[in-house]
Amino acid sequence: MSAPSGTSSTSIDRGAAAPRVTWGRLGGMLRVLLAQSLLIAAMLAFWHWATAHGSVNAFLFGTPEAVGGYLVKMFADGSVWHDAWITGAETLAGFGLGNVLGTAIGLLLWYSRFLSRVVQPFILALGSIPVVALAPIVIIWFGTGFASKLAMATLSVIVVALVISYKGAMGVDPDQINLMRSLGANRHQIFRHLVVPASLTDIFAGLKLTVGFALVGAIVGEFMSSADGLGHAIFKAGSLYAIAKVFAELVVTMVLALLLSAVVVRVERALLPWRHDLQN
Amino acid sequence: MTPGPQSGAAPLAAREIGKSFDGTPAGAVEVIRSISFTLGRSEIVSIVGPSGCGKTTLLNMIGGLLPPSRGTVIWHGQALRGVPPRAGYMLQKDLLFPWRTAFENASLGLQVKGVGRQERRERVMALLDRLGLAGFVNYYPSALSGGMRQRVALARTLAADPEVLLLDEPFSALDFQTKILIERDTARLVRDAGRSLLLITHDVEEAVSLSDRVVVLSHRPCTVVAEHAISLDGDRTDVLAAREHREFGHYVRAIWNELDIH
Repeated sequence: MSAPSGTSSTSIDRGAAAPRVTWGRLGGMLRVLLAQSLLIAAMLAFWHWATAHGSVNAFLFGTPEAVGGYLVKMFADGSVWHDAWITGAETLAGFGLGNVLGTAIGLLLWYSRFLSRVVQPFILALGSIPVVALAPIVIIWFGTGFASKLAMATLSVIVVALVISYKGAMGVDPDQINLMRSLGANRHQIFRHLVVPASLTDIFAGLKLTVGFALVGAIVGEFMSSADGLGHAIFKAGSLYAIAKVFAELVVTMVLALLLSAVVVRVERALLPWRHDLQN
Repeated sequence: MTPGPQSGAAPLAAREIGKSFDGTPAGAVEVIRSISFTLGRSEIVSIVGPSGCGKTTLLNMIGGLLPPSRGTVIWHGQALRGVPPRAGYMLQKDLLFPWRTAFENASLGLQVKGVGRQERRERVMALLDRLGLAGFVNYYPSALSGGMRQRVALARTLAADPEVLLLDEPFSALDFQTKILIERDTARLVRDAGRSLLLITHDVEEAVSLSDRVVVLSHRPCTVVAEHAISLDGDRTDVLAAREHREFGHYVRAIWNELDIH
């Protein structure tokens, strides 16, 4: 492979706010993309070859052609949009609710050393319960519709969000708190102007983590009892031994997960411009 | 600008203040035995001491962030309760908030005090301009040099219009040239406005070149060893000229000897 125009110079303009795409960097990105595509192609080819030769059971492992066929069918009949929409909505709603509640509680515990010490063991105890184990109760309490999936996604998120935001709030530099005090700030002003913004970095790291947890919660909820959604489709296809269909639904789930993470990263960039500056 | 409750009294005085910390692994530790000094109106006083002698503890007591074990801190003739009004802090760490631009960092104190947006803008911009930061008001701290960051911290301290500035080794992390320039700007902004400045430092030359008086502290537990009135005639905001004055070396040597550094 010859590098385009031979300019491998990595001239990075420090003054520019946006990352400058130089020919050298573009070439590098293209090479990585190409290698990744080749890797996928190789895996698909091996899968196809192994199942076609009968050395791997096509009934148990599906074939790439069948997976492709299901994907085409799911797009054609619109079921992919329906299921992805249901699961995506459950995930986002639970992600939002869990993070809002968890972060609010975590930050507010900063106000009271006493209260935070009282509730700490309870929070740790709650956090140690695998959310999957709560699914049967959640289904009984919230029914088989949207509400139970929302509850599962929320539960998957809330304790993590709480712990992360509390750690962020308690990790504020004591010198910065003294600075605020010397400027005459009261506790509310210290909270608003220092503790909350200082915790945002941690909170956003938590958001990137919990968007995946919320998706797990929603899918587990759908596994337990549901009429639609990606988890439902995967469970149904699995119980019918339609392995290729399971893989097709998994591909859609993966794309959904990547999309949700990308949205969180975008929102972080927009809301934390100083972090963006740091990275360039 | 309202003067303090008792206009005649010195803005700040310490009367035999001391500090011991109990319950450390080594038992009770006496960091400061007894320190007394007075900071008069429009005066620049430096406190120098060997490193580790409890200078920061002293500053925290003066600033009302840490109660003394013994003695009294007196602001404007009255014993200190809580955080003193119209006192400005500056530390070696600039403590700029990374999520705020230079302008927003410098206006923090005014925002906390509830000063309106328009007035905030005018006062802070004027200050940043005087400190040579007019072109950097919208930069985040991560994009500023160490000297610029410390200037923003100085602007943040001065924007709140403090009567008394408490500085804890604010220039010690800067290179020599930057340090001289910021010392000069600080001296000007303090002396022009008739403010009082208490500078805590281990840099004897900095103390002598800036101050009207230098208080020398001992090793732990800390007491006052000596006090020098510095008289270097000429423009005292010109810190380089002060360093070239023929008496300068004399003061520096005397204080060095008293510091008892081995």
